[in-house]
Amino acid sequence: MTDQTNTFGNRRVMAPAFGLLIVLLYVFLLAPLVTIVGASFTGGLLMRFPPEGLSLQWYREFFARQDLVDGLLMSLRIGTVTAVVTTAVAIMAGLAGQVISGRWSGWFQIGMTLPLLVPELLTAIGLLFFLYKIELGKSVIGLQIGHILMSFPYAYVSIVAALRQVPVSLEEASASLGASGWQTFRLVILPLVMPGVAMGGIFAFINSFDLYTVSLLLKPLGGNTLPLALFDFLTYEFKPTAAAAATISILLSILGVALVQRLVGLQRAF
Amino acid sequence: MTRGARLRLLLALPAVALIFVFMVLPITNMVEMSFRTLGTTAPFGDSYTTGHYSRILSDGYYWQVLLRSLVTALLVTLLCLLVSYPIAWHMSKAHGFKAVMLYALIASPLMTGVLVRNFGWMIVTALNGPLNETLLGLGIIERPLRLLFTQGLVVLALVHVFVPFMVLPINNALRNIPPALVEASSSMGANRWQAFRDVILPLSFPGIYPGVILVFVLSIAAYVTPALLGGQMVSYMPTLIVAELNGTFRWPLGSALAIVLAVVTLICVAAFTLLTAKLMEKSRA
Repeated sequence: MTDQTNTFGNRRVMAPAFGLLIVLLYVFLLAPLVTIVGASFTGGLLMRFPPEGLSLQWYREFFARQDLVDGLLMSLRIGTVTAVVTTAVAIMAGLAGQVISGRWSGWFQIGMTLPLLVPELLTAIGLLFFLYKIELGKSVIGLQIGHILMSFPYAYVSIVAALRQVPVSLEEASASLGASGWQTFRLVILPLVMPGVAMGGIFAFINSFDLYTVSLLLKPLGGNTLPLALFDFLTYEFKPTAAAAATISILLSILGVALVQRLVGLQRAF
Repeated sequence: MTRGARLRLLLALPAVALIFVFMVLPITNMVEMSFRTLGTTAPFGDSYTTGHYSRILSDGYYWQVLLRSLVTALLVTLLCLLVSYPIAWHMSKAHGFKAVMLYALIASPLMTGVLVRNFGWMIVTALNGPLNETLLGLGIIERPLRLLFTQGLVVLALVHVFVPFMVLPINNALRNIPPALVEASSSMGANRWQAFRDVILPLSFPGIYPGVILVFVLSIAAYVTPALLGGQMVSYMPTLIVAELNGTFRWPLGSALAIVLAVVTLICVAAFTLLTAKLMEKSRA
């Protein structure tokens, strides 16, 4: 009996304390993002949070800065190519992975997600030397290869999860009705895994859009991605234009997460 | 394996080629690069030497930077664990719409770039920024804190970057613990703390283990955060390596530094795995 009152009393003190801790932790997680978005809408001249008055002047300033806009366009272009190539390669790899069984299947998974497991810096250094040797150093193609490599695991993991949901019996039924492998894929499997493929593409795009270290080491001559341009900007100017640039990339992420939630639901995505 | 299955295996070729040609091969190549002599007209020379390694191992400055990176990564990992466990616990108890919202909350930062999240801390910790204003307002400090370009801010920002990597696996592990086990331990007289220490904590270890390894490996090699928030005065291994590659163009020395960092990281991971092997076994039983 005493034991029970103890636990009960304990709980009355513990629950609000734990609640407060949780709130503080979530504030910690969101603080930098909220301040960036807030500071980007300031009507004042300084990067401040809370903003002084509301205005879109720093977005006008962002779009008037050729270096930042060029960075944005470059990032969008590289991200789009990355999304298309990684999903195509990942679908093929996912289909092949399904016929690998036992011990090898684990190794295959590790191999396919290697760019996620090895620190970005090491991969970037390796690629820097390699691209130099095959005379693709400082080229846009080289940078594109780096982005495809680093983003591939995101597409692969999403697509494999989707492929796993497709019952084997469907594929067998399709084959027994005389469909070729390609027909089975196009008419049965692809429509079923399409949400997973889209999710993979979105994740690959967002990852490519955010990459920094690989882009820094493989930076093409005269070309900057948005994160590189933003870093350079921050080194010399601490103006709310940077907050506007960062907010644009935060908005893209929110859009991506919202799309994924609509397509497959977040709990299955992570 | 049937002929069809064997043909289907060929579909993996582009992916295998991508990872082998542009990652495995280049990283092995890096080992060769680290034994090259320095070049005068090119970033590397034609002959071979072990000089870079002996230079790194005999120069106190490199040891100091390595130690700083190591301590930073250990601190980041520990703080990440302390921050992430309550969040993961809170998440694992949520269902339905609330669970979706919490996932979104944790995953959204994961989907914004490291640079953007680090830059946010520059605004938060500015002299007249919201953190200083709040602390001044609450009377906790008397003068605004100068946080930008300190090692403390680097640790804080790295913890912020890597919390999702720790929360997600721990959340998965906590969700896999049957509630009946916890109930059983409390019905056998364990109080909440005992139930946590003896049942929940060991059973969540399969989530803690990958979280700890991932955060440690990623934070010791993180470049952006120390470069942006650490200031010019203090070097970390990644900023030192990038300076050799992009600034002074001494690629062989940069490679040797990167390999030293990688080897030290692997030793730490192996040590952690060995030290916690018993705990892992216990959680499987």
